[in-house]
Amino acid sequence: MATQTKAGPKKIDININGETTTVVEGTYLLQAVLDAGYTVPTLCHHKDLTPDGTCRLCICEIELKGKKKTVTSCNYPVREPVKVITNSEEIKTHRKKLAEMYLGRWPNVEVIQNIAKICGATDNEKYKSELTDENPKACILCGHCVRACNSFMLQNILGYAGRGIKRHMTMPFGEVDPYCVGCTSCAYVCPTGAIQITDDLNNPVDPELIRNHGMKVNAEMATLDDQQCRMRQVGTANIVEVMDAYDLLPVHNFKFGKHPDTHKIDSKVMKSDYFTQGAADACWLGCSMACAKAVDGFALKTGPYKGEKVVVDGPEYETAAGGSNMGFFDLDYIVEYNFYCDTYGIDTISFATTMAFVMEAFEAGIITKEHTGGKELKFGAMEEALECLHEMARGEGFGVDVGQGVRWLKEKWIKELGADSNYLQDIGMEVKGLEFSEYVSKESLAQQAGYSMAIKGPQHDEAWLIFIDMVNNQIPTFEDKAEALYYFPLFRTWFGLLGLCKIVWNDVAPGDNSKYPPQEAAKIPEHVENYWKFFEGMTGKELDEEKMLLQSERVFNLQRIMSYYLGHGTRKDDIPPLRAIGPVTEEEYLSREERYDKQMKEEIGIDPARKTVQEKLEITRDHRYKQYNKVLDAAYERRGWDNNGVPTLERIKEIGIDIPEVLAMLENGKS
Amino acid sequence: MIKVNKKETVEWREGMTVQDVLDIMGYIYPQITVTVNGRLVQREDYHTHEIPDGADVNVFHLAHGG
Ligand code: SF4
Ligand code: SF4
Ligand code: FES
Repeated sequence: MATQTKAGPKKIDININGETTTVVEGTYLLQAVLDAGYTVPTLCHHKDLTPDGTCRLCICEIELKGKKKTVTSCNYPVREPVKVITNSEEIKTHRKKLAEMYLGRWPNVEVIQNIAKICGATDNEKYKSELTDENPKACILCGHCVRACNSFMLQNILGYAGRGIKRHMTMPFGEVDPYCVGCTSCAYVCPTGAIQITDDLNNPVDPELIRNHGMKVNAEMATLDDQQCRMRQVGTANIVEVMDAYDLLPVHNFKFGKHPDTHKIDSKVMKSDYFTQGAADACWLGCSMACAKAVDGFALKTGPYKGEKVVVDGPEYETAAGGSNMGFFDLDYIVEYNFYCDTYGIDTISFATTMAFVMEAFEAGIITKEHTGGKELKFGAMEEALECLHEMARGEGFGVDVGQGVRWLKEKWIKELGADSNYLQDIGMEVKGLEFSEYVSKESLAQQAGYSMAIKGPQHDEAWLIFIDMVNNQIPTFEDKAEALYYFPLFRTWFGLLGLCKIVWNDVAPGDNSKYPPQEAAKIPEHVENYWKFFEGMTGKELDEEKMLLQSERVFNLQRIMSYYLGHGTRKDDIPPLRAIGPVTEEEYLSREERYDKQMKEEIGIDPARKTVQEKLEITRDHRYKQYNKVLDAAYERRGWDNNGVPTLERIKEIGIDIPEVLAMLENGKS
Repeated sequence: MIKVNKKETVEWREGMTVQDVLDIMGYIYPQITVTVNGRLVQREDYHTHEIPDGADVNVFHLAHGG
């Protein structure tokens, strides 16, 4: 799979005041100069905000291809080798004069006094005028607040009004703007205290602590997201093409992990042809991640609203990948099923995974047009699949059956049609009655368990370990996998307990996260700490890993015990269908024959030569289920559960949930 | 021969850079950290950092999504 990756940034040698230094292409000159150890006064510059270039204090002289000119260094990106002078007499004179003017206007503001000191400006009186503002917290028109509102919050609440000397900072029409979410970003970046916070809603114990950590996330979104996950541009859909490249995008009921037509449904097409608002959109006003997306004016082709133009929220990654799973390589239809699932109140994942199962059963001849109400439900039958969706909503025809989900369909077809039970169990992608989320888990044992052990069924909200396990090979032993299957589900359950969004944990990462060793880096330690600080700031209670995990573990075990009580909480309920852990059909085996044969030889120790595909399928199945059960053993042990996956009395006592009601559930469980 | 993530092997050739290995492996994910024989390689050096034969290359993908 030789895919050409985008070329990274180059390094460029530049000369600053006679000394050569190397910078990464695109670095702002100001940064390069400061890194080289020179002092440059700045006023409008702020490290977390897009540069503005308005105060002109940071000017430097550059020589490029023999031509000299003066530039504001804060917004001058280095793209070619340049010669730079940071402190010529001319520059010094210019800066001093500017500083004197600032000092004349705002003589008592500390940041201005500091700038004056750097520039050698001492005369307070020289530019004294009727504009002079003696307030030590005066607004100095640096514009930080305007840019923070824009780049942190994606709002434009604050702006300048008036011209020339009358220029001042204000909200529209000088009134309090009702769209201001009160996020306090503007106050946070204001260097003088001109913007004051007068009220902290919800009475947090320590609002400053929450603010300090929240602003770090805001700054990361403003400065890093474009190079990292592009959440503001395309949301979670950014990984459609990535999953395809790693053979992880579900295609045709999870048979395959990539498809030649993925480029028709990837985030690039979504961005260029579908997402309309041209802006980030958020679940709630005030979220700086703002990963929700919308398609406006979308003309529906089917169903009760056919011909009408609507706004569609999405598609997200899972919805697009549900599309490839059903063989929809046309975004028109993906957006259409996205819209109708939302409108009818149907989960796109369950719909897509069930439909993909129906399509495979149809192609295998288990069901025919006779059962589907005349619909030719092959992979890629987009009109027909949508008709099923409409039937489901109307409570008519075959759609009613599809609406019952994979488990129900399997049982019905085995009972009523005498279908091959083993085959249907192998391809029916559900555990505990819930349909699988849209990732191919075949090559990652930890992910198979992450899905299948999840309390509410195979969704990735407990543990998404594909990269750590399959690609990075970071958790090679069963014990390593068990540790990941202990930590991540508890950590992610904890978000749910607190009602916090998971996305800001790992859909942006601090620029220096790689300073941690990989095992730690995977947790994104600084972001985990942010969450603890949010908790502490709100409640006044300090948290650490142990305390956090304990909070979560109590609930997690209680949930497992409830599942047990209801008959869904033992080992048998944690076993995935074969399709989730390996190839089911000959077609599937042959499509990745080289990989499977190699594994057979190297990992299983059996020579695949002269074995039939059927034999190889059997050997692979047998081996993979054995491996899977070993992961379960290790994970149960790490969690303090018995060999059947039931929390032990000892563990229940340790975490302090050994109350009579819980013990009664264990005693009277149906499992 | 180069070992990638202690699992895959890549044929070594003269002048091979980190970027070459990423291309061969199809690693297009933006959130990665690369080490060669245990030492971190900065993103801006991927095109120039040459890999010695027999090197142990780790490409750590930071999970997101999911
Ligand atoms: S509080 Fe937030 S939304 Fe309101 S003006 Fe300040 S930065 Fe903008
Ligand atoms: S209010 Fe504060 S941040 Fe905004 S322009 Fe004035 S001094 Fe700068
Ligand atoms: S810091 Fe204001 S123009 Fe550069």
